[in-house]
Parts: sequence; structure tokens; C-alpha cells
Amino acid sequence: MTTPRIELLAAVSRLDDESATPATAVTSIRLPVALREAMAAAVAAGFDASSNELGVTAIRDRLELYAQRVALDMHYETHPDSRPTLAEIALALAELDGDPLAADPDLIAAAAEAVVRFKPTANADDVLMYAAGMINAVHR
Amino acid sequence: MATTILDNEAVQALVDPRHRKHRRMLALCEAAHHRGAHRRSIDAVLVPVAVRVEAGWTRNGPEAARINLVSRARDVVLDTNRTNRATLIRRSLGVSVTDATIGELIGSCAGPIQVITSDRDDSDRMAAYLGRSVEIIVL
Repeated sequence: MTTPRIELLAAVSRLDDESATPATAVTSIRLPVALREAMAAAVAAGFDASSNELGVTAIRDRLELYAQRVALDMHYETHPDSRPTLAEIALALAELDGDPLAADPDLIAAAAEAVVRFKPTANADDVLMYAAGMINAVHR
Repeated sequence: MATTILDNEAVQALVDPRHRKHRRMLALCEAAHHRGAHRRSIDAVLVPVAVRVEAGWTRNGPEAARINLVSRARDVVLDTNRTNRATLIRRSLGVSVTDATIGELIGSCAGPIQVITSDRDDSDRMAAYLGRSVEIIVL
């Protein structure tokens, strides 16, 4: 049975297949006036070739993020052991951000373990913030 | 927007759930997703096609399609100019063909660059040769 999640993955996968000669459709989106003005200013400043390209790129980026979330979750359903821990994700985030905390994986692991006691839904940012707090507390 | 370049082992770790660094690679994908979802940065993830050939990554088929979306990686095709630049890097530094295509990307991408690699030395050497500052993330 095709679910909305599967449909999303299939549709986003087709974006690359069709990118050379994409079929297009005219649609209307009600935009806040300030957003439309900001788009026009961004185009005038040379950040994008047109408002259309800016809008398409922004929508595509968003949809690819949604599809990435679905694809990751489906991958974990098939391969449960491949799901990284919160500490592993926080370490990876610190590395991608160029955060000096990345040099201390043990501290990040300790922070990940501690922070979920206060906030069970903690994410990688929460872990890094907690780890920074732990360093601060030691040096006080 | 930052550019993240995957090397051969990063690709192998990504596509093979039995690879010992598969979970580590998924942690990096999760972190990249987090950055995008929290409006920090939607990074471009690039794979030179030579790397994909060496790693044996075919991007069709049901499982491959899911991995395409997990990584958000895009192919970088070798055209004449890229090939010329990669050839110069290989000739100057004696690196492998696939590493030379990574070096070509290091030299040609604008903005911050990260390389996810198992071999820090070659990436460091190519970045120094090209005069680029590169964040190396060791797999």
C-alpha cells in the first residue's frame, strides 16, 4: 500500500530525474507582502536569478529535508542497529558546526546521558549546550 | 551554505548497513538534517562520480533510492575543466585519481568546505596545495 511517506520519497526522488528538462506547472501561493518584497530585494541584490528560482529552491530544500527525515526513519525500521545514539549525533553536530566541543567525545557522551534525565526529548543542540554548561561549572 | 564532500570510505559506510562505520555516517547525516531543520545551514553534500565508481554506489533501485535521500548527496560530473584541474592535482601531489577529483572540488567550491574522510593526510595535503581552508571530519 502506498502511504504519504512513500509518495513523498518517490516524488522527491523524481526531482533529480526531471531536473534536466523539468515539466513545470503554474501555481499560485498567497505570500505575505513583506516576504514578496524581501524576495524581490534578494533578486535585485543578485542572490538569485529570479523570484521563481528563489521560491523553487527554497521549497525544494524544505521537501528534501522532509524526505531525508522519512528516509532515515524508514532505514532505522529496516536496520534498527544503525540508529545513532543522541551522543553520537551531538558529536557529529559539533564536528559539522566546527564546535571545539567536538574534541571531547567523552564530555559529550556524559552530557547526553545527563540531559535526558531533565529533558527526555533532548536533541543534539541540548546536549552541546549542557556540555558547555558542564565545562563552565567546572571552571567556576 | 557549507559544502560537504564524501570520500570513498564515507560512501561505502553510507551505503552498506554492515559497514563498521555505517552508524557513524548516519550520525553525520542526522546532524546535517538537524542543521537544516533548525535553519542553521542546508549544506550541499557532493560526491565526485569517480568516488562513486570506486565505492561501487549505484543510485538506482529501492534501497539505493532511500540512501540517496538519507544523504542528500549529489553527483559531481567530471567535465573537461574539472578533469584538467584534477589531472594537475594528481600530477603535482601523486594522489589517487579519486582523491584528485575530491581535490578538484576542494579547489572549486565556494564557501566553507568539509570533507568526510578516513584519510586526513591526503585531504590536508590537497587543501594546503590549493590554499583552501578545509574542515576535515575523520570518519
